[in-house]
Amino acid sequence: MRQFFPVEDLARDERFVQTNMAERMKDGRTAIELKESSAKSRGASKRLTPERHDASDAARGLMHGIMVGEIQALEGAGRTAHDFAAGDGTNDTVPFELKLDMARQAWDEARHVEISAKLSDWMGTELGEFAENTVLFEAACSNDPILRLAGVNRALEGLAIDVFTQMKEFGDIAGDPYLEFCEDWMLADEVTHVKMGSDWLRKVTANDPDRRNKALEFQQVVDKLFSFGGARGESPESSFTLAKRFRELAGFTDDEVKTISEMDAEALAERRAAVLRYREKVGADAPA
Amino acid sequence: MSQTRRYGAFAHRSPVGGWSHEFTSFGGMTDTTQTESTARAPFAPWDRRDIPGSFSVDETARRVGNYKWTEMKLFEALGGWVATVPELDVKMRLGTHCYHHAWHADLWHKRLPELREMKPERLTVPANAAMERFIEAMTEPEAPELTIEKLVGVYRVLIPRFIAAYTYHRNNTSEITDAPTIRSINFILQDEYDDWRDGEMLLQSLITTSTHVERAAAHQAKLEALMVEAGGITGFDSIGMGTHTITEGGA
Repeated sequence: MRQFFPVEDLARDERFVQTNMAERMKDGRTAIELKESSAKSRGASKRLTPERHDASDAARGLMHGIMVGEIQALEGAGRTAHDFAAGDGTNDTVPFELKLDMARQAWDEARHVEISAKLSDWMGTELGEFAENTVLFEAACSNDPILRLAGVNRALEGLAIDVFTQMKEFGDIAGDPYLEFCEDWMLADEVTHVKMGSDWLRKVTANDPDRRNKALEFQQVVDKLFSFGGARGESPESSFTLAKRFRELAGFTDDEVKTISEMDAEALAERRAAVLRYREKVGADAPA
Repeated sequence: MSQTRRYGAFAHRSPVGGWSHEFTSFGGMTDTTQTESTARAPFAPWDRRDIPGSFSVDETARRVGNYKWTEMKLFEALGGWVATVPELDVKMRLGTHCYHHAWHADLWHKRLPELREMKPERLTVPANAAMERFIEAMTEPEAPELTIEKLVGVYRVLIPRFIAAYTYHRNNTSEITDAPTIRSINFILQDEYDDWRDGEMLLQSLITTSTHVERAAAHQAKLEALMVEAGGITGFDSIGMGTHTITEGGA
């Protein structure tokens, strides 16, 4: 077995169709409003609420996205348990206890796949009904295990905290205690995983500030990528908000939470500008 | 009148570990108005644990080091394989079992300093070079169509060897001096049985044609030969046989 495993080789059965972030952002169905929306404008809010006319499909799509994300998180944690020898954290090694944590995370993610598959079935979704974005596993492919921790455990598992909080609220408002119950349990695990990433990042780079800075920069890149062009943020056009309280529990400092919040806003503004440029180039009738 | 149940004279162990049956008033009732003695024998009649064991501290540490090395190799392999298998149920089982074996490795890692090995890495080694070759061969399959080979190596060769070595250790070590090792082995063995059952059932569900049967058998034979060369998880004394000689037609 190879030491490192490329994203293109991820093994799936024939039901799954994979895509990447670039393809996803080109999809016209992910359109956003170009103007600052008012709270009253119909359809301006992208928040997942039961009142939305497309709430059922949106929730099923999001749940499928969560499930394939959990599959990749399972694969990523498994690879990190495998790819690096036990050692002192230098020269391509990781502490033995970090490997154990990754194995534990693999178990947690396996349970999350089970939970998500049950929930998808409960919500009436077939496996493979929606495309699978492989960006999560891409963040788990770095040759530096600390970058993996920053990209996956802190950025992406952090995102999972935000998404699960949203889904838990949706379950509560929609009167679906089954959904709310499951999301609550997964949320507890995700907080643990993010904290795991925060703790190991600090421990392993305690005497290597350059490595720590590189890891944090990588985390910012992934965080911004996963802002989905403003999908996460305080704007009503954002699909979900930053779950600040849970992020604090997971080891994020106030400054870090503030930075992510600012990045989310920037991502939304950048996406609006990009869509405007595109429309000017190809004509006003082009899809957003 | 309140009464209390108490034991009379306990049975005594003879110096060679046998029993001299001198039960006198075991299970009898007594009047609590009399002064009640709290003097009891150190071992209750049902407690048959004994001191003698087959392994010294050093020998136990050596075996535990071999267990830890092999459990580590196993959890690393299971974790690495998760991304390589297309079958969703297998993928999830591998992730779950990955943690079980990591936990076993952790239990042994923590046991080593208690066995006077303050640098656990020193004893975290394979039993011999053949064991290393076995692990290399077991972890070689990577392609997505080789799920049967991956599972055969783990669930039909390695885990049965783990069950054998752990059972031999548990049954032959001192029940009193080495109780911490026995406690860990008992927890671990439960996982091994459960995981073996999971893996075997997955294999039975995947092996559905004569070609599958041949593939599984051929791979098992190849790995089993390497394992025989290694002698088992802790070498040739894994289950107490203690011989390097392989005799044609039976040992």
